[in-house]
Amino acid sequence: MRILFLTNLYPPVVMGGYEIACANVARGMAARGHEVRVLTTWSHLPLPVDDPAWVHRGLDLHWHLPHRSSDATVDMRDLHSAVCSSYANTLHLLDSLRGFRPDVVYVWNLIGIGGAAMLDLLNQIGVPWVLHLMDRVPVEIASSTPACVLGLFDAQGSALYARAHIICMSQHLLDEIETMSGIIFAQGADLVPGAADVSAALPHEPYLRDGIARFVTAGAVVEHKGIDLILQASARLKAEGLAFAVGVFGDGELPCYMDMARAMQVDDRVCFLGSRTQPELMRLYAGYDAFLFPTWEREPFGFAPVEAAGCCTPPIMTRNCGASERFVDGVHCFKIERTVDDLTEAMRCVAANRADLARIGRAAQRLVATDLSFTRCLDRIEAILRAHTHPWSQAAADDPTLPLLAFLKHNLSVSLRFG
Amino acid sequence: VREPLRVAHLTPAYFSPDSVVGGGERYVYNLVQSLCTVRGFEQCVFAVGAENMLFEHNRIPVRILRNESPLPGAMDAFSAALWRDLRGFDLVHVHQSLTLFGAYTIAIVRSLGIPVVGTDLGGGENALMLGRRGLELLDGALSISRYAHDLIARYFSGHHEILIGPVNTDHFLPTAHVTRDRRTVLCVSRIMPHKGIDRVIAALPSGLRLVVAGRVYHESYYEMLRSMAEGKDVRFVHDADDTVLLELYRTAGLFVQASTARDVYGTAVAKPELMGLTTLEAMACGLPAAVSNTGALPELVPDPRFGRVFSGQDDLTAILREVAEGVWPRPDAAALARAHVVEEHGMESIGRRLAAFYRAVLARPRRSG
Repeated sequence: MRILFLTNLYPPVVMGGYEIACANVARGMAARGHEVRVLTTWSHLPLPVDDPAWVHRGLDLHWHLPHRSSDATVDMRDLHSAVCSSYANTLHLLDSLRGFRPDVVYVWNLIGIGGAAMLDLLNQIGVPWVLHLMDRVPVEIASSTPACVLGLFDAQGSALYARAHIICMSQHLLDEIETMSGIIFAQGADLVPGAADVSAALPHEPYLRDGIARFVTAGAVVEHKGIDLILQASARLKAEGLAFAVGVFGDGELPCYMDMARAMQVDDRVCFLGSRTQPELMRLYAGYDAFLFPTWEREPFGFAPVEAAGCCTPPIMTRNCGASERFVDGVHCFKIERTVDDLTEAMRCVAANRADLARIGRAAQRLVATDLSFTRCLDRIEAILRAHTHPWSQAAADDPTLPLLAFLKHNLSVSLRFG
Repeated sequence: VREPLRVAHLTPAYFSPDSVVGGGERYVYNLVQSLCTVRGFEQCVFAVGAENMLFEHNRIPVRILRNESPLPGAMDAFSAALWRDLRGFDLVHVHQSLTLFGAYTIAIVRSLGIPVVGTDLGGGENALMLGRRGLELLDGALSISRYAHDLIARYFSGHHEILIGPVNTDHFLPTAHVTRDRRTVLCVSRIMPHKGIDRVIAALPSGLRLVVAGRVYHESYYEMLRSMAEGKDVRFVHDADDTVLLELYRTAGLFVQASTARDVYGTAVAKPELMGLTTLEAMACGLPAAVSNTGALPELVPDPRFGRVFSGQDDLTAILREVAEGVWPRPDAAALARAHVVEEHGMESIGRRLAAFYRAVLARPRRSG
């Protein structure tokens, strides 16, 4: 298959699991012999020497900008370009459709590149496309754009997505999108969970070595991931005299949380260890007893706990986050309400050696090696893409007036919104 | 192409006190009626209004879509419901194509892949459609005069037809029962400076009577006209309904349309007369016409036996003197005027040519790569 990936970010520029997953799947598809092209935004970071030639970084990014303007109108213009329409990016997509002639367009995160106009273009041309949801992209598009502007792109209701095949990483995310936006995916959706490749995972070290419970968490160091809950629970455990340590991997609001840890006098127990690559983390997880994942309830899934579970490190996770659909409480993980009390009790249970960590770790590893294995998920994605591929009129992409139509829509969207 | 062809007419407003009572809105209904004289078409009119509504006008369905525009102007109205409602139509005719309504609507129709034709009825000059070449998204342009054609010709390179009219010549027709007053000069228009009514009053010789029929849209101009009319035989009729208007057409001796591109106050007027329907209606009633050389008006009177064109005050004065002296128009002018309108601008004539234009557009889609 000729697969055109469309994504806002691509390594080395990443914000989270969405972009990393996209890159993993793109590499996986290329490794399976498919002809792949990735259309994404520029990278301000040095590219790795093995950066594939099929990654085209021609799109502009209107989101995740280092500076925010004090002028609200400037911010709104950026937001408009980010979620609704960026004319240059729409033209880049058109050029890729004309030049690459994909069998299918595989759409990932669109925030930052003017998603509504791009999806509208795909619909006009009639090229088959698959949308892989790992976050509530349709909600962001619908809620950040006035209805009259959405109407230009047939994006007021579900129609913008009606021709797409939908892949979603959790029912939880699907429900959230449908509830918050009113968009209904009447065509159905394939649930493909977050996955991990544990082929290079190390054997797990003995649990509670030296009587010390070693907790780990990885990801963005921000409030919604529950870092403050971890600090509060750590303070309680310390006060109880339990022997434990917490390693926090990742970037984010590090100064804030380091200060907080110091203020709560747990800086001797909680260490902020900075970012690590995925392979590095997979090696490190083998030395920890449990993975802390007290994330917010709208977490679409969460790759890090899956990767940890794949290394026999059982996750302690929010009961109703996306990943919890795949893990059984007491079998593969420990589920908690997202409270300090619940998190403390789960950590206490581990630290006091009241949980059968080895059994749960093995079950978790088995789950990831089977249902949540990257290879198995890639098989499913490949089958879905192949099933959704159908002949399309490539002459439609060659219509010489398409740039003019996109220009008209873009400028109408701007003038309706900003006068 | 299968028949009957399903044609949707899209207009920002519809002819009604609930919407807009204007020439552009009436034109749409007239054009639809003209195509009814030809077999092989099904039509529907879509307009934008305060609420969703469906009714019939002369057995043509008229669907009103709820306005979604944040802007107050009638020509800025639009509805995204067209994405759904236009499915199944073979051709869409967007009226007022140079307005925000036109731009928004053409974007939707074009995205749906339906061949689209546009007509400027004078409601706007949207820069995206003109200078930025949005008009090139049309598969065809229908202009209501050569003048209207020339205004957009440099922005549109596709199939471009000119159809002046239609006029309902079954309604606007002379009657043998009424005697014409050859000394009555008739002006029918909104009372606004660019209509040049001041020029007619100034040129009116003794011995001729002037009847000005139209609502006042510019009070100070109207006051000026009343002042100019003192000592002359001038009557203003502000509440003429269709019956009264027809009566005026049938009883007057000459119709004058004196519109100007620069009004009495020195103000330049864009697109002063794209067509001049009242002139054609008057001529259909057998009324000879004198028109200014403004906009499309000269195109309406190609034969000096029933129509004259004046370029300035002296010209108009001379023509009215000939009328007063009985030199012009000749007795056969009424029949000639009527025959010309029926043949060139009547419902059947326009309907036939409109059908041919639509079919030509469908036969030559512009969008293939």
